[in-house]
Amino acid sequence: MKKSEQKLNINRRSFLTGTATLAGLAATASVVPITIVNANHTAGEKGLPDFISWKNRDALIVHSDKGIETHRSAIGESLITPNRNVYIRNNMPTMTDAQIGDRNNWKVSIQGVKNPKTFSLAQLKKLGHTTIATILQCSGNGRGFFEHKVRGSQWETGAAACVFWTGVPVQAVVEACGGIDREAVFMTSAGVDHEPTGLDPKKAMIERSVPKKVYKDAILAWEMNGVPLPNAHGGPLRMVTPGYFGINNVKHLGKVAFTKKESSVKYMKKSYRISPIGKKGSQYPSAWEMPVKSWVTRPTDETGTVKAGKVQIVGVAMGGTRKVRSVQVSVDSGKSWKRAKFVGPDLGKYAWRQFAIETTLSPGTYNIASLASNGPDKQPELRMENRRGYAHNGWKDHSVYVTVV
Amino acid sequence: MKVKKFLLIILFIFIINIQNLLAEDDKMIKGLEIFNEVAGCAACHTLKAAGAEANIGPNLDTVNLTEALVKDMVTYGLGVMPAYGEEGILTKEEIDIVSFYVANSSGK
Repeated sequence: MKKSEQKLNINRRSFLTGTATLAGLAATASVVPITIVNANHTAGEKGLPDFISWKNRDALIVHSDKGIETHRSAIGESLITPNRNVYIRNNMPTMTDAQIGDRNNWKVSIQGVKNPKTFSLAQLKKLGHTTIATILQCSGNGRGFFEHKVRGSQWETGAAACVFWTGVPVQAVVEACGGIDREAVFMTSAGVDHEPTGLDPKKAMIERSVPKKVYKDAILAWEMNGVPLPNAHGGPLRMVTPGYFGINNVKHLGKVAFTKKESSVKYMKKSYRISPIGKKGSQYPSAWEMPVKSWVTRPTDETGTVKAGKVQIVGVAMGGTRKVRSVQVSVDSGKSWKRAKFVGPDLGKYAWRQFAIETTLSPGTYNIASLASNGPDKQPELRMENRRGYAHNGWKDHSVYVTVV
Repeated sequence: MKVKKFLLIILFIFIINIQNLLAEDDKMIKGLEIFNEVAGCAACHTLKAAGAEANIGPNLDTVNLTEALVKDMVTYGLGVMPAYGEEGILTKEEIDIVSFYVANSSGK
């Protein structure tokens, strides 16, 4: 007997048991309902997949073992998101220690430069050293607010984090290779996490091209918030492209090339294109620069009712590729706005700022919204409708309803 | 007379339910075959009921699935997952069957 047949027999029994039990109840309606048992996480003590058992389960919403979101209320209490609370979005399985081997011997090849070279991680560490704070945000953060049925994790606010990265500036690596090819237009980064799968690299390789100018602020990172870059976040080495959506921050980095053309792999040509609903194709913009955005992190509907009186409204605001300049807060669905204060340190234009405003609320229900501006651009009221639910920065959907008692 | 009529109705409902059960049982058998051998879903996903333990796509035992959601994903694909419907890899009937199978096997 084949394995599939053996499994089927076990499954058939449970299937029939379920339906038979319910058949009597359903008899009057002449239908046989089938109960689907759904767990939203892998079995385990903490209910997290093994590869991230070290994460803070209470801070996380598990959409699948490949898509795990941070609760709105678990972001923003301090400026930097602790690793234990940072979201997970993996297109390929996270590489294991065994697949990675000696981290210091991890190799990355640099191409499209005067003198192409391959560096080990240990060699990269001798080329330069810097730390930057950037926002890591999935292109689909906010997808859960779209009303058309969008495939993929239904993120609301939590596919985003503000993180300290430590590594070597790409500029230093380029200089060690004699400079960039004059004809290069793009910086193209490729991961090697598809290799253990044996899948066709054209379909499975995460290779992303961004405009060449990005290299000036980009780094090759080996540390995240002061610890060696966890495998689940692309360790031992990942590209960090400040101001650009998460997918461009390629994990398990194996190659950086300065190229005349964009990569031709599926994840560049077809996926992550911001197209109108019902349309798709490489003629539409890629998920590159993040737009200005903000959201309230406290109080929220996750944290229960709020006591009447003075209330601190707290949140995070980002300017995308520009510095965020201001945030306004409304407690009446955007009818009126008050300017909030930025609090805490300014970690640079690629980090988010925390904002806070004190207000007095009497008992009732309030719709609290925030509206950020980076100077030229401010958040729109409504989302930009698009097929895959990318780049949502409309303030209305990101508002929260809070009951004051 | 009334009792006879009542018994006939009960018998009729019973037959319909048996038919539904048999039809659904058949779909589960075909669905498993498509999952493991025709579409090759088992090469990328975990689904205990099918004996599948791969780790490329999401673990289908841990995702909140509906038949409609599975059908949509199988038809149009996502990321590395092929668009089995759009690309003509599976027929519409096969997609219906495998979607029914996955939705009713998840978490079991």
